[in-house]
Amino acid sequence: MADAPAILDLQQAEMAPPPGEHAERPITLRLMPGDFALVESRDTARSSGFADLCCGMADLVSGSVGFLGQDWALLDHQETAMQRGRIGHVFAATNWIHLLGVDDNILLPQRHHTNRPDAALRDEAAALSVAFGLPGLPMGRPRDLSQADLARAACVRAFLGRPALLILEHPLQTRFRDMMPALLNALAAARDRGAVAIWLTGNDIVWRDRSLPATHRLRLTAAGLAPAPLPNRMKIA
Amino acid sequence: MNGFRRFLQRLGRAVRTRTDFALKLAALTFAVLRDAPMPGMWRRTARSEFSRSLRQSVGGAVGTIVVTAVLIGVAMIAQGLYWLTTAGQQSLVGTVLVTVLVRELAPLLVGVILLGRSGTVALNEFGTMRGNGEEHVMQSLGLDPYQLLLLPRAVAYALASFTLGMVFVIVAIITGHLLGSLAGYERDTALGLLSRVLSAMAWQDFAVFPAKLLLIGILVAASSYLTGFGARRTDDVAHLLPLGFVRAITAILICSLMLSLVA
Repeated sequence: MADAPAILDLQQAEMAPPPGEHAERPITLRLMPGDFALVESRDTARSSGFADLCCGMADLVSGSVGFLGQDWALLDHQETAMQRGRIGHVFAATNWIHLLGVDDNILLPQRHHTNRPDAALRDEAAALSVAFGLPGLPMGRPRDLSQADLARAACVRAFLGRPALLILEHPLQTRFRDMMPALLNALAAARDRGAVAIWLTGNDIVWRDRSLPATHRLRLTAAGLAPAPLPNRMKIA
Repeated sequence: MNGFRRFLQRLGRAVRTRTDFALKLAALTFAVLRDAPMPGMWRRTARSEFSRSLRQSVGGAVGTIVVTAVLIGVAMIAQGLYWLTTAGQQSLVGTVLVTVLVRELAPLLVGVILLGRSGTVALNEFGTMRGNGEEHVMQSLGLDPYQLLLLPRAVAYALASFTLGMVFVIVAIITGHLLGSLAGYERDTALGLLSRVLSAMAWQDFAVFPAKLLLIGILVAASSYLTGFGARRTDDVAHLLPLGFVRAITAILICSLMLSLVA
């Protein structure tokens, strides 16, 4: 594993700031197969900006972002789309294409990027749906499902197939007890396959949970991305 | 010198603003024509969208097309047959129908109906997607909105436009013939009238009729796409719909006029 290439490699990556705003500090982060970065971020817009940076959606002022050994900036349109097909993503804000049913939304990236038969995809999606606490693959339009079911469905889409990188922007919302075990199981399985996971959270319950098997604990603020280990437990005399 | 530079800047900005949409529309239309025959662009997701769009655009408009064609058959063709017969100019029936109905009226009316039944729906969908940030979701997942939404819809609308155009012409001619026969001034059979129309068509007409319809279908889709996805996040659909309608109508008219002038 030591010689394996990094799955995600951010080297002094500095995003172009939105008009009228100051540039944020450059970010350096190197994640190897099986790594799990838990990132504390209280600002969902900043979380989304960081997620965009990881999947090559952000304009860079300096530095580079590599994914699976390839610099996003050097890929053409088709290659970029193909690489993004290897990313499982739970978004902080909008997750769904309103024209499609939730089932089609879940299957869409895999149907587009792979040649796996529809039946096999549906079977895997149904199994994942059950694992995340849904009765099966959800069929309705996104507006017809509850927020809780949509949060589960978003995880199903992210873990479907064999993503090399998982970007989970605030995936639990407020359903910690319901979804945490399923999410941890799915994460463990993905990491065993060599995937990398980035979990962005703004919640203290998740952030302070010592049972989360994070290999990196980081904090994302205007000052950039910095290591933020949990303080040692206080010993009771 | 600075004043001259500012004048040039203002002039350039004004020209760019006014030509921006037209240039993008032309580029997108060209891209669709280039990419449509490429098998690599037709993944199963695009094929699904194509089937859905074709069903929606043909199924949604065929009723309106038939009713409009019947009205045109009554108001225009039957009248034309009557007056040409009265004036002893039956031999001109084919030429008149080809020039007025096949080359000009059918593509325009089909384009307007396609725009109303499908283009505005697409514009609404694209505008809502833009407003909700769904375009960003698609791109993050490696799904190209052009490949997944525009290309299949543009090809579906082009085929729908051609299909609806054929239905329109045939229904209008048959209606006009029926009325003429009932009134007693049309003695030919319906097939005979159709045959006279076909005989009056030159090779340019065989090229212009499908070219207009196919291009109009692509323009309706591309115009809806550009207006919907080009909107600001704050633009609501109530603002986008009239803008998209005017843009698409203008594009349809210009396309029709240009092809008529060429042939």
